[in-house]
Amino acid sequence: MKIIIAGAGDIGFHLAELLTMENQDIVLIDTNQEVLDYAATHLDVMTLRGDSASVDILQQAEVQKARLLLAVTTSEKNNLMTAILAKKMGAKQTIARVTNEEYLAEAQQQTFHELGIDTLISPRKLAAEEIRRLVNQCSFTDIFEFEAGKINLVGTTLDESSQLVNTRLSEIEDLNIDVNLRPIAILRGHQTIIPRGNTVLQRNDHIYFITKKNNMDRLVDLVGKQRKRVKRVMILGGTGLGLATAQRLEKEYDVTIIDNRRTRCKQLSEVLNNSLIINGDANNIELLVEEGLDNMDVFIALTDNSETNIIASLTAKNHGVHKTIAQVENKEYTHISQNIGVDTLINKKLIAANNIFRFVRKGQIEAITSLNGVDAEIIEYVVHKNNRLTRNPLKELHFPKTALIGGVIRGQKTFIPDGEFQLQYEDKVIVFALPEAIGKLEKLFR
Amino acid sequence: MLVDLRPVLRVIGVLLLLIGGLMLTGIPFSLLYKSGDALPLLSSGLIGIVIGGALWYGVPRGKNIKKREGYLIVGMGWLAMVSFGMLPYLLSGVIPNVTDAFFETVSGMTTTGASILNDIEAVPKGILYWRSLTQWIGGMGIIVLTVAIFPLLGIGGIELFVAEAPGPTSDKLHPRIQETAKRLWFIYVGLTAVLIVVLYLCGMSGYDAINHGLTTMATGGFSTKNASMAYFSSPLIQYVIIFFMFLAGTNYTVIYFGLKGRFKQVWKSEEFRAYLGLVVFLSITLGLGVYTAIELPFEQAFRDSCFQIVSLITTTGFVSADYTSWSDGLTMIFFILLFLGACAGSTSGGIKLIRHLVFFKNSLLEFKRILHPRAIIPLKINGTVVRGRVITHIIIFLLLYLILFVIGVVVVSFMGLDFATAIGAVATSLGNVGPGIGKVGPVDNFAWLSGEIKWFLSFLMLLGRLELFTILVLFSPYFWRSN
Repeated sequence: MKIIIAGAGDIGFHLAELLTMENQDIVLIDTNQEVLDYAATHLDVMTLRGDSASVDILQQAEVQKARLLLAVTTSEKNNLMTAILAKKMGAKQTIARVTNEEYLAEAQQQTFHELGIDTLISPRKLAAEEIRRLVNQCSFTDIFEFEAGKINLVGTTLDESSQLVNTRLSEIEDLNIDVNLRPIAILRGHQTIIPRGNTVLQRNDHIYFITKKNNMDRLVDLVGKQRKRVKRVMILGGTGLGLATAQRLEKEYDVTIIDNRRTRCKQLSEVLNNSLIINGDANNIELLVEEGLDNMDVFIALTDNSETNIIASLTAKNHGVHKTIAQVENKEYTHISQNIGVDTLINKKLIAANNIFRFVRKGQIEAITSLNGVDAEIIEYVVHKNNRLTRNPLKELHFPKTALIGGVIRGQKTFIPDGEFQLQYEDKVIVFALPEAIGKLEKLFR
Repeated sequence: MLVDLRPVLRVIGVLLLLIGGLMLTGIPFSLLYKSGDALPLLSSGLIGIVIGGALWYGVPRGKNIKKREGYLIVGMGWLAMVSFGMLPYLLSGVIPNVTDAFFETVSGMTTTGASILNDIEAVPKGILYWRSLTQWIGGMGIIVLTVAIFPLLGIGGIELFVAEAPGPTSDKLHPRIQETAKRLWFIYVGLTAVLIVVLYLCGMSGYDAINHGLTTMATGGFSTKNASMAYFSSPLIQYVIIFFMFLAGTNYTVIYFGLKGRFKQVWKSEEFRAYLGLVVFLSITLGLGVYTAIELPFEQAFRDSCFQIVSLITTTGFVSADYTSWSDGLTMIFFILLFLGACAGSTSGGIKLIRHLVFFKNSLLEFKRILHPRAIIPLKINGTVVRGRVITHIIIFLLLYLILFVIGVVVVSFMGLDFATAIGAVATSLGNVGPGIGKVGPVDNFAWLSGEIKWFLSFLMLLGRLELFTILVLFSPYFWRSN
C-alpha cells in the first residue's frame, strides 16, 4: 500500500515510523533536505524534496497510485491545498492537519469532503481534549478511551497506602475488591515489566490498567489516591493549546491563565469569559505564588518551551499542587515523565500522529495509542469472520508472549477476559503489544 | 472659516419644511371639532414651509459635512425646530407669551413632558394635537440622531455598539445608515399605529388614542387630560400604556430582532436584560412598599407603582398616581429613578442604563484588578470587550451629568426655588422625564415658575436631550479654534 506523507516534522516522522513497521510504501515530502536525510537514514522510506502543494512534486510522488495522502506540514493552508490537489490527482484518501477549530465543526464536514479532504485532524484540539480528560480524572496520569469510553486504559502510580502494594498479581482476586481490571504494563524505574501472575507490585510502581468505565472510582481508592475534587486550575502559557484548554476548562473550574505577552493576554481576554488572565513571566515563581499556586489543584504548563514547562511543573509539585501536566515538544522527553516527577507529559504531535494512524488503519485497527515511557503500543483489533481465533478459548490460542489481551468489547458489553474466554466474530479486542509482537498480531487478526 | 454654515442652514431648511408640513396635519382635527384654531395652524405651517423652502433652495450647497458642522446642525436644528414649533401656541393665543410657549415646545421636542398649561382640556383640539405631535417629532429626531449622527460623532451611549467593530457584534441592522434608519422609523411609526388602535379598542376616544399613542412611543408624556393617565382609570388601558412605555424605552435594534423572531439576540443584550430585571424588581418591591404604606388593594398598589416606575425610567412622565404622596422614602426612590433612563438607542432620555451598566460592572472589576494587579481584566458588554477610551467617555459623561445637576440645583435655588422643588425640577429637566418632586411633582405643573427659571430649565432639557456633549462642545474653546 502506497502512502504519501507531506511534511517530515515530528508528526510526519512519527507516522512514517509507525507505518514502516507494517511494511507500507512510504513517500515523505518536505522542503527541508536535512530532515529528509535524517528520515532516510533512520527509516525505510523514499524521500522527495519540494513543496507538497506543487502539482509537479505530487506527480513525481506518483500520487495517482497512492492509497492515502497525509498532509501534516506546519502550514494549515498548505495542508489543505496539498490534500485537495492530491485528491483531484487520484489519491484514494486524504487527511489534512489543521489548527483552526472552526474547520472541525460538524457543519463544515460536507464542505471539506466536497473539496476532497476526507479527514481533518487538529493536534491542538486533540491535545486540549486529552488534557480535559486528565483534569476530570485527576488521579490518573494517562487515560485512553476505547469505543467511546466503554473500556478505558488508565495509568497511575501506586501510593504507599494502596492495598495493592506488595501484592502478587495472582492474589488480586483474593483481595475481594470487586473491581474488574487488568494490569497490562508496569513501569518500575526505567524498566518496563509485562505483568505475570507472580509479579509483585511495589510502591511507586507506575501501573497501567485496562478497566471498565464504571470501575474508575473504585480504582482510585484501590491505588491509594484520595478522591480529589478539582476546583482550581492554573495554566501557564497562553499558547494556542493553552487557550483551547482554558476554553474547555473554564466552565467547570476556576481557571487562571498566565502569559508573558501583554498583547496576547488582551487577545485571550476577548475570548475567555470566566478565566483570570495574568500578564507575567513563567519563571517568576513569586508571581505564581501570589496568584495562588499553593491552592491550585491542577497545574498545566503549556508554553512553547519544554524545559520551562517541566521546571514550572516541578515547582508547582513542590508547592503542593495535586496534579501537574506539562507540554513537551521533544519526543525523547515523553518517556521520562514518571522519573522526573511531572505527572503527565503531553506531546500534541505524538497524540496527533497516533490519531492519524488510527484513521490509516481503519478497518483492521480501531485505535492505537502508546504509553508514556513504555515502548509498546495499545492496539484495538476487530475479529473477522472465520478467524481461527474464534475457535478456541484464549489460553489455547498460542498468543505471542509479548502481547496481552486487555479487554474485549462485544456490542454493548465489555469483558476483561481470562484464559477461558472465547472470542466471537466482530469482537473488538484491545491488545497491549511490544513492537516485536505487532507483526504476529497482524497475521493473527487478518 | 472653520465652520461651513451653508449645510447647517440647508438642514435647518429641511427641518422647517418637515415641521411646517406636519403642522398642517392638525387642521383636520380643528375642523372636525370646530375648535377654531385652524387658521393659526395653517399660517404657522405655511411660515415654516416658506422659510424652510427658502433656506433649502436659496442657500448654495456647501462642502461635505464634517464633525463641527455635525454638532452645529444638531444643536441649531433643535433650536430652530423649537422656535418654529411654538408659533401655533403664540398665533392662536393659547400661550400668549414667548417664555411659556418656548418652554412648552422645548418640553415637547425634547420628549420631556413638563407643562406650563393649567387647564389642558381647555386647549383647542388642533393645538392640543400639535402639542402631542411635537413630542412624536422629537422622538423621531432622536432616532435619526442615534442612527445617523451620534455614531459619527461617537457619543450617545450607542458608541459602544457602533464605534468600532463592523463585525457580528455591531448593532447595525444594515450596512447602510439610510437602510438602518428606514427600519427603525418603520418600527417607530408601526408601533405608534398599533398603540393607537389598541388604545381605541380599549375604550379611549379616537382623539385621545391618537394623542397618547404619539406621546407614549416618543416617551414624551404629554396628555390631553389635566389628570394625565389618572383620568383613564381602566386598568386595561393603564397596563397597555405600561407595556408600550416599556417597549418605547427598549433599544430599537433589540425590538427589531424581537420582531424578526431572533430572541436569542434579544436576550444577548445585557442592557435589555438589566432593563427588564430592574423594572420587574422595582415593581415588585415598590409595589409591596406602597401596599404597606397606604391602604390600597394589592393589584392597584402594584399597578400604580409599576406604572410610575416604568414612566420615570423610560423618561415618559405619564402620571397615574401621585408618587410623592405615598411616603418620604418612596418619594426619594422615585427621585432617584429620574437619573436612570432606559436603553440607549430608544427615544428615552436621561443617563440610560448602558452607562450605569458600564460604570457598575467596571467598578466591580476594579476590585478584582486591585487584588490581581498583573491580571488583564477587560470590561465586557454583550460578550465584547469595551475599549478603555469608551469607558472613560462614559464615566466622564456620568460625572458631567451629576456636576451639571448640582450646578443646576444651585442656580435654580438662587432663582428662588426650595430644595425639594429645585432638585426635582433640575433632575426631571436634565433627564427629559416630566414630573419631579416638591412643587413640580406629578400633580403639579411648571406654570408658576419665574421666567428665568423656565428659560434655564429649557436649556437643561436641550442639554440632556442632546447627550450633553453636543451642546457643551459648542461652548468649548476647541470648537472655535483650528488646533
